[in-house]
Amino acid sequence: MNAASSSGGEGRRSGAASSVRFLQYFESFGVLLLLVLVVLVASTVARGFFTYTNITNTIIIASITAVTGFGMTFAIAMGGFDLSVGSVQALTAIASAMLLEVTSVPLAILGALVLGVALGALNGTLVSRLRMPAFVATFGMMSIVRGVALLVTRGQSVMITGRPGYAALNNGKVLAVPVPFIIVLVVFAFLYVLLRHTPFGRHACAIGGNRRAAIATGIHIETTTVLVFALVGLTAAVSGVMLSSQLLIVDGTLGTGFELQTIAISVLGGTSLAGGSGNLLGTLIASLLLATISSALNILKVEAFYQYLYLGLLLVLALYLDTLRRTFIANSILRRR
Amino acid sequence: MSAARVPSPPEAQRAAGRPLARRFSLDLVLRYYIQLLLVVAVVVLGAIDENFRSPDNLENILLQASFTGIGAAGMTLLIIAGAFDLSVAGILGTCGIALALVAAAGHDGLAVGVALALGAGLGLVNGLAVTKMKIPAFIATLGLMNVYLGLAFIATRGQVIGIESEALRFAGTEAVLGFLPIPFLVMLLVYAACALVLEKTVFGRQVRAVGSSGPAALAAGLPVDRVRIACFVIVGLCTAIAGVLLSGELSSANAIMASGYELGAIAVAVVGGTSLQGGSGTLFGSFTGALFFAVINNALNIFGVGAYWQYVASGLLLVSAVGVQELRTYVREGN
Repeated sequence: MNAASSSGGEGRRSGAASSVRFLQYFESFGVLLLLVLVVLVASTVARGFFTYTNITNTIIIASITAVTGFGMTFAIAMGGFDLSVGSVQALTAIASAMLLEVTSVPLAILGALVLGVALGALNGTLVSRLRMPAFVATFGMMSIVRGVALLVTRGQSVMITGRPGYAALNNGKVLAVPVPFIIVLVVFAFLYVLLRHTPFGRHACAIGGNRRAAIATGIHIETTTVLVFALVGLTAAVSGVMLSSQLLIVDGTLGTGFELQTIAISVLGGTSLAGGSGNLLGTLIASLLLATISSALNILKVEAFYQYLYLGLLLVLALYLDTLRRTFIANSILRRR
Repeated sequence: MSAARVPSPPEAQRAAGRPLARRFSLDLVLRYYIQLLLVVAVVVLGAIDENFRSPDNLENILLQASFTGIGAAGMTLLIIAGAFDLSVAGILGTCGIALALVAAAGHDGLAVGVALALGAGLGLVNGLAVTKMKIPAFIATLGLMNVYLGLAFIATRGQVIGIESEALRFAGTEAVLGFLPIPFLVMLLVYAACALVLEKTVFGRQVRAVGSSGPAALAAGLPVDRVRIACFVIVGLCTAIAGVLLSGELSSANAIMASGYELGAIAVAVVGGTSLQGGSGTLFGSFTGALFFAVINNALNIFGVGAYWQYVASGLLLVSAVGVQELRTYVREGN
C-alpha cells in the first residue's frame, strides 16, 4: 500500500487513493501544525523563548538530531532500523576529537566519517549476510561500540582546544543562518534526491514495502541493505562531528538514548514502521518540534526528569497514531474495492 | 552418541556412513554448545587462577548470575512467545524505589508486595501497549522504558534511596551453607516454576504455539493477545523479584540502578539457545547462559580488565550467539 502511494501516479484510482493521499498530506502538515502550535504556546508562556539566541540554539539542537533522523528514516523505509546510532555518534565524536590533536580539521572530520561508514557497513553486513534481525545486530553493536568508546577514552573526557575552525561548524553563521542548519539542509537535499529520484532509493523502499517482491524483481537485497546501514552510520558520524564541535568536550557516554530520539522523529514525521516509504521533510519538522518542546521546558525550568517522561509518552503516542493510520488505510482500500 | 539415534532410511541414504555421524555430533555440539562452553570456561579458569576457584568467588559468581538470571527467566518465556521487553531496566529501577520507599515506613512484607505488584502492573501496561495498541514490541517497550525511568526519577528527584531493613539486606546478601546465596536459591525456584509452566501446562504449549506462528495460533482459536500479555506480566514480575533482591544487596535503590539490564537479560536468553524468531527455547539454556555471563564478567574482573570491556563482551556474545543459531539452522537444513 505504501509502495502505491509513493510512486505518485496512481491517483486515478480515485476514492481510496484520494483518502490515502489526504492522509499523506496530513502526515507532513499534521506535525507542522503541531510545531506551529507549540511555538505559539511557548512564545506566550515562556519568556525569552522567542529571542534570536534561543531560536538559534533550538535550531542547532534540532539539526544534530535531524541529520541522523534522515538516515534512520532511510533505514525504516527499508524495513529496518539502527539502535547503535547513539554509540556510533559517541565514538565518532571521540575519534574526531582525538584526531584533532594530531591532524588538521578536514582530515579529522574525514576520519570520523569514514569510521561511521565502516561501523554502519558492519551493521549492514550482520543484517544482510549473516541474516540477523536488525534489532539484535544493532543492539549488540550498540553495546560493543559503547564499550569501545569508553575504552579508548578510559572513561575520561577529551577536550578540543584552540581549533576555531572546528568550533565554527557549530557557532558559525552564513547570512545569520547557523552553519549546522546549512549542513542539515545540504544532507536533506542530498538524501531527498537519493530516496526519491534514484534507483537506490526506490530499491530501499521496495525492500521495505515487500521484501519477497523485491527479491523476485532482482533487486540486490544484500548490497542495498549494507549501503543503507552504511548511510545511517555516515549520518550518525556527521551528527557526532556536529555534537563535538558544539560541546568541545566529549566522553564515552555521549548520545545515550539518541536511537530513541531519531526513531521518534522519523515516526512522528510520518514514516511508518511498516516500511516502504520515507518522509524526510516530516523528520526535519519533527526534529524541530522535539527541540522546541525541550527548549520551552528548559526555559520553564521543568526538571530534566520530566523530559524522559514526555519523550517516552510522545513516542508511544506517535506509534499509536501510526497504527491507527495503517488500519485506516487498509480499511479504506478494502472498502473501495 | 549418534548411535543412540536411529536415522530414518532416506536420511541414511542421503548421508551414508561417517558424514552422518559427523553431522549428528556437530548438531549435538551446536545444541549444547553453551553448556560445553560453561564447563570449559570454569575448568580452564579454575585451573589457571586460584582466586577464581576460591569459595568466596564462586559465591560471588552465583550471586551475580542470579540478578540477571531471574529477569532472563521471564524474558525467555516472552521471547518464546515471539516478543521482547526493552523496558526491564526501567521496571527494575521503579520497583526497587517503590520497595525502598515503602520499607522506609517499616513494613518489609508490604514493601515486597508493593514492588512485585508494581512489576506485574508495568508488565501489564507493556502487554496492553503491544497487543491492544498494536505497537511493535521493541519500540513500544523502548518508549515505555523512558516513561518508567521518568517516573522513577520524579519519585526520587534523582536521589538514591537507602534501605535500612535488616531482613531485606539479608535476602540480598546472605548465603546458605556458606556458598549458596539466597538470590541464587530464588533464581532456582523461578527457573523451576517457569520451566514447569512452559513444559507441563496448556499455557506453556500456547506460548510456543503463539511464538512459532501468531496467525496460525489465531486461526486455531488460541487467545493470542492474552497469552502475550500474560508473558509480559511474568517478565514484569520476574524483573520485580530481581529488583527486590538487588536493592537488598545494595541496601539502596535508584532509578538507573539497572541500566543495560535489558541487554543482559535478552543476551542470556539468546546465548542459552532461545530463538529470537519465537517458538523455541529452553529455561535450562537460559539458566546456563546466566551462569556463563557471570563467569565471563567475573574473569574479566579478576584479570583486571576494566568494566568497559563488559559492554564489548556482552555485545559480542549476543551477536555471536545469534550467529551460532544461524549456523545451527544451516547445519540442519543445509548439506
